[in-house]
Amino acid sequence: MNEHGNLIASGFAIVRRHRRYVVWFWLLNLALAFLGVAGHGNHVHPILDHSMYADKLLHGFDAAVYLELFARPEMGPERASTAPAVHFAFLFVLLTLLFLPGVLLAYSGEGRLPREEFFRACGRNLWRLIRLTLLFAIIAVPVVGGSFSLHHALVKAAEKSTNELLPFYMMIATLGLIALVMTFLRIWFDLAQLDIVVRDQNMVRKSVAGAWRYSWRFPGRLLGSYIVIAVAACFVPVIGVWVWHVVLPPANVVGAFVVSQAILIVLLWMRFWQRASAAAFYMRAMFVAPVASPPAPVLSPPLSPATPPPGTLPPREQNGIPEI
Amino acid sequence: MAIKRLVFLLLLGYALHVPAQAKSTAAATAGTSPIPDTTSAINSSAPLSQRVVAYDIQAKYDAKSHTLDGRELLTYHNLTGQPLDHFPFHLYLNAFQPTSTFVREAKASGTRDERLGKWKPEFWGADEIKSFEVVGMGDLTSKLHFIQPDDDNVDDKTVAEVVLPNAIPPGEFVQFKIAFHDQFPETVARTGYKRDFVLGGQWFPKVGVWWQGAWNCHQFHATTEFFADFGVYDVKLTVPQYEVMGATGVEVSSVNNSDGTKTVAYHAEDVHDFAWTVGPRFKVGEDSYSGVMGPIKLHILMQPAHWSQEARHARILKESLDRFERWYGPYPYKTLTLVDPEPGSAAGGMEYPTFITGETTWWMPNGLYFPEQVVEHEFGHQYWYGMVATNEFEDAWMDEGINSYTEVKVLDSILGRDTSVLNLFGATAGDRQLQRYEYIEVADLDPISRKAWQYATFGSYGSVTYGKTASVLLTLESVIGEDTMQKAMHVYFMRYRFTHPTPEDFLKTIEEVSGKNLRWYFNPAVYGTQVLDYEVLGLDSWPANWYEKDAKEKKGETIYDSVVMIHRKEDFIFPVAVEVRFDDGEKLREHWDGQDRWVKFTYRRKAKVESAEVDPDHQIQLDRNNFNNSRTAVPKPSPARKLANYWQFASQLLAQCLTWWLV
Repeated sequence: MNEHGNLIASGFAIVRRHRRYVVWFWLLNLALAFLGVAGHGNHVHPILDHSMYADKLLHGFDAAVYLELFARPEMGPERASTAPAVHFAFLFVLLTLLFLPGVLLAYSGEGRLPREEFFRACGRNLWRLIRLTLLFAIIAVPVVGGSFSLHHALVKAAEKSTNELLPFYMMIATLGLIALVMTFLRIWFDLAQLDIVVRDQNMVRKSVAGAWRYSWRFPGRLLGSYIVIAVAACFVPVIGVWVWHVVLPPANVVGAFVVSQAILIVLLWMRFWQRASAAAFYMRAMFVAPVASPPAPVLSPPLSPATPPPGTLPPREQNGIPEI
Repeated sequence: MAIKRLVFLLLLGYALHVPAQAKSTAAATAGTSPIPDTTSAINSSAPLSQRVVAYDIQAKYDAKSHTLDGRELLTYHNLTGQPLDHFPFHLYLNAFQPTSTFVREAKASGTRDERLGKWKPEFWGADEIKSFEVVGMGDLTSKLHFIQPDDDNVDDKTVAEVVLPNAIPPGEFVQFKIAFHDQFPETVARTGYKRDFVLGGQWFPKVGVWWQGAWNCHQFHATTEFFADFGVYDVKLTVPQYEVMGATGVEVSSVNNSDGTKTVAYHAEDVHDFAWTVGPRFKVGEDSYSGVMGPIKLHILMQPAHWSQEARHARILKESLDRFERWYGPYPYKTLTLVDPEPGSAAGGMEYPTFITGETTWWMPNGLYFPEQVVEHEFGHQYWYGMVATNEFEDAWMDEGINSYTEVKVLDSILGRDTSVLNLFGATAGDRQLQRYEYIEVADLDPISRKAWQYATFGSYGSVTYGKTASVLLTLESVIGEDTMQKAMHVYFMRYRFTHPTPEDFLKTIEEVSGKNLRWYFNPAVYGTQVLDYEVLGLDSWPANWYEKDAKEKKGETIYDSVVMIHRKEDFIFPVAVEVRFDDGEKLREHWDGQDRWVKFTYRRKAKVESAEVDPDHQIQLDRNNFNNSRTAVPKPSPARKLANYWQFASQLLAQCLTWWLV
C-alpha cells in the first residue's frame, strides 16, 4: 500500500477505534436539527393531520401539493421554517468547535482517551480554536471569494460561446479547482488544529506556520487522501437517496428516517475519516516527541496517549522535515 | 358687390375642390389590386378567413449588426362599412427603448421573461419608417406621427398614425408602400437576437384592427401581446447563405445570391402575423402529420445540444395535433414550424401563426415534461390566438387562459393527470394542480376580464390570466359536464375561427351548448374577484345513549349520533357535494347549494363518522384551500412526519456541510 493508502487505512482504523465520537456527533447533529425543524412541524401538523388531501404527500410526493402547503398563510413566511434550521446548523458548527479538541487528542493517541482528559482538552483549546477559525476566515474569505469571482467571470465569458455545453464544463472545472483550493486550506488548518491540541500550543500562529510548511511541502500526500474520501462521500447521498426513493415505499416514514440518518452518519464518518488521516499524517510527519522529560504542564497531562509508543515513532527530522 | 364676389369665390373653390377629391379617391382605388384569394398554404380549396390585409415584404437581414432593411407593400381592404381617413400602425420594436411604456412597465414589475434590472445598450430596438407612401396619394412620411392611446407617455413610439388626405370608401382598397429599418434588440421579450440566433417577431410596420366600430391599436406593454387582421403574407427574406431558416407559412423558393446571401420566399394565407428565425447551427428535423384537412409538414429546428430531444418534441407536437383535431377542430395549414431557440434567449415559449418556439435545456431529464408543456401550450395557440384571434391586449385570458385550460386537458390525456409536468424520482406534479397553484396566491387581486396591461402586478397578470382561467374552466366542467364542455369548446372554435370574438361570444356559446344560464358562475368567476373556499368545519360522533350509566360501545351494535358541519369561508357561492364516510365502510353523498354560510348534516346510525370531504371527485379547481376540504375523525400524523423527516435531513445535511468547511 502506498503512502496515500496508508494514510487512508490508518485514518479509517482510527475512526473505527473511536467510533463513539462519530455517534456522539451524529446524536448532537440529530438533536439540534430536531430543535431547528420543530417549528416547521408545529405549522404542518395542524394543516395535514386531519386532511385527506395530505395523502398525496404520503403515498408519493406531489410537488404541487407541497408548494400549495407552503402557500398557506398558516405556514407563515418561508423564513419562519428555514431560519431556525439555519440557526441550529450554526450552533452545531460551534459545538463541533468546542468538542473537536478532545476528538483530535484521542485521534493522535493510541488508546481510549479518559473522559476527563477529553473535556479538559476541549476547555483548554476552545479559545485557541476560535482564534484559529478567525485566522482561517481571514485567509479563506479572500481566497475563496476571489476564486468564486474568477469562476463567475469565466462562466460568464463561456456563456458568450455558441457551444451551449461550454459554460457547464467551465463551471465544473472551476468549481473543481475551487474545491481543491478549499480542500488544501482545510488540510492546512486541520493540521494546525492538531498541532495546537497535541502540542498544547498556545501560539496559534506557530501552529499555522508549521502546518503551512508541511501542507506546502507535501501537497500530494494528504490532498490525495482527502480527495479520495471526499469522492467516496459524494456517492453516499446518491446511493442513499436512491435506496430511499426506489427501494422504500413512499409511505414508509420510519424506513425513510432510518435511511436518511444512515446517510448522515456515514457522511459524518467521512469527515472524521479525513481528520483521522490528518492525525495519522501529523503523528508521522510533524509531531516531535519530547526527547527529555519536560516539566509537566500545570493544567494538562503530558498527552501520553498522543505520544506514539516506543518503536512506532517516525524517523527523526532531518533538517526539520522527517522522511516518511 | 362684396357678397357677390364672396359667393363667386366660394363657388370657384367648390368647383376646383370636388374634382380634386374625386381624382384622389379614384387614384387610391384604381391603384390597388385585390388581396389574393390563393390557397396554396392551406389544406382548403377556398380562403378560410375574410382577408383584410395582404403584406408583400422584401427584406434583407444583416447578421452582424442585427439590423434589417425592408420594403413593405400593404394592401388594406376597407370592410368596416364606413370611410376610413386615418390608419394606425404598430411599430413594436420601438418598445425596446428606455423611455417606452414597455420598458417603464418592465422596470416596475417585469416582463414575461425577466425584470429589467439594468438597461444595457444591447436592449435597444427600433422600427424606423424611412418612407411612407400611399398609392395614389403620394409620400405621406411627414404626416406620420406617434400616438399613445393607452397612456400619456409621449416618449412611447410603438404606435404611429397617418391621416390620409382622402378617406378610403367602404369596400375599397388602399395600398401603403413603406420602407423601414429595424434594429433588433438582444432578446428582452419575444423578439431579437442572442449570439448568432435571431427571432424576427413583430418586425414590420403593422396596421391596427378596426374592431367594434373603432381602430384597436394599443401601445406595446410589458404584459400585452398582439392583435391583427387576417390576410395573406408574401415575404422574401435575404439572409447569409450559412443560416438555417424557419418562418411562418410555406417556403416557396430559395435562391443563392452572388454576394454570399440567399433570398428565401415564404407564402402564408389566412394568418395575422409573420415571424421568422435564422441561426447557423440549427439541426432540422422533418416530419409529417396526416391532418383532418390534409397533410401537415412539421419542421423542427433544434439546437445541436438538444438534438437528442427532437423525438420528444415531435411526439408532443403530433399528440397535440391529434387531440386538438379530435376535440376542437381541424388544423388547416400545410406547415407547422417548431423552433428550439438559443439557450438563454428570451425567445422561448412564443407563438406565431404556424410557427412556435419551445424551450428546453441540454440536461432535461425524461421525467421532467417542461419542454412538452411549452410545446403543447404554444401549439394550442394555433387555435386560441392563431385561428380564434381574440384581442390579446384586452382579453388576454381568452388566448392564454383558454389555452391553459386546453393545455391541461391535452397533457392530462398524454402524460397523466397527476404526472403531466413531473414524474421523476418519486416526485410528481400535474399541470392542473400547478395552474391552480399559480392562482391561489393572488385569488382576489384581479378579475380575469381585466385588460392585460391594467393588472395589479405582472405576477397577478400571469397567475390570473393563465392559472385562474384554466381553473375556472376546469371547475365549470363539474357544472355542465366534461363532455358538454368539450362540445362547447368545439362549437366555439368552429364558429369563431378566423374571426375576433369577444368574451361574451365565448361565454354565450357555453351557455348555448350546455342549455344552462351560467351567469351565477361567470359573474364571480370571470368578471369578479370572489374567492371560493369551503371547509369541513368539524365532525363528531357519540353514542346515542351516552347518558346511560355503564353503557358500553360495541362496533356494529351501538347507535351513534353524528354531526358533520360544512362552512363556506369566502364569498364565492358554489354548489358542492359532500361525501361522508362511516366506520362500517358506508359512504353517503350529500349536496349543498352553498347559499348559506354553513350547513350541518346529522345522522343516527350504528356507525361513527370516519371522515367527510367536500368535492370528493376533486373537480373544483377554484377552491383556494384543498387541505381544509376534508377532515378525518382520527388524526393521521404520517404525512406531516414524512415532511418533517425531509426537513430534518436537509437541516442536518446543512449543519454537516457547514462544519465540513468551516471547522
